[in-house]
Amino acid sequence: MDILEKAVDRVLSGDRSAFQQIVDATSQKLVRLGARIMGNQADAEDVVQEAYVKAYRALTAGEFDRRSSTNTWLYRIVVNGAIDAKRSRKRRAEASDELVDPGWDGAARAEARVALSGPDDWLAALPADQRAALVLKSMEGLNNAEISQIMGVSEGAVEQRLVRARAALRQKREQS
Amino acid sequence: MIEQEDIEQRLARLAGATDALRPSAGFSARVMLALDAEAAPSFLEAAWFSARRLVPVAAVAAALAVVWAVQVDNSVDDEIATSYAAVELE
Repeated sequence: MDILEKAVDRVLSGDRSAFQQIVDATSQKLVRLGARIMGNQADAEDVVQEAYVKAYRALTAGEFDRRSSTNTWLYRIVVNGAIDAKRSRKRRAEASDELVDPGWDGAARAEARVALSGPDDWLAALPADQRAALVLKSMEGLNNAEISQIMGVSEGAVEQRLVRARAALRQKREQS
Repeated sequence: MIEQEDIEQRLARLAGATDALRPSAGFSARVMLALDAEAAPSFLEAAWFSARRLVPVAAVAAALAVVWAVQVDNSVDDEIATSYAAVELE
């Protein structure tokens, strides 16, 4: 049993401080995943923080059934949170008919901003679920079975999202 | 096929460019603060949970009060009846 699963055991037995170990062990890759989907680090950190609060609530309520690994479970919460945040951000933008503030603040590091401006510009036109599937496949290096577990859809649905995302990117490239 | 490779190559390049992303300083502490805020009950929640503990005590007190009231009522009736009997005898 790895350190993450042991930390989960400790949280389940009432040791709240063990959750810090879970955060320390997973925050780097979860924030990176969130940033790749959201397109900026500030929004990604909001999504991941909210994901941790949800995860803690679920653990203490006994709602984590451990059918998937803790890593996969946390990925799922972050991906769902990021997709919801992207969709509500898009709805707000359409409602106000204004450009959305990309969410950078003074604390955001310059190199992160530069690194993320590429994927955000290029992938911005994709629907949130297609972008998430593409990020999980081509940037996080997961296979379709893992992505289907994280996104809660069939492997066929994952493949369909990937095909549509790539087709949309190809079309965008032809238009430019 | 060439276009497909272009897309995959570009995605791989972007993955490399974003690989070094780290949470900003203090992120972990902010998460734990958010959990503290989540764990600490609000004043109303605290009052509600405290009040819930008093419900059984309040129920027993109410039952005792009803028993006492019935007993007092019966003894008053007895005294009134006795006083009427005394008046009639006089």
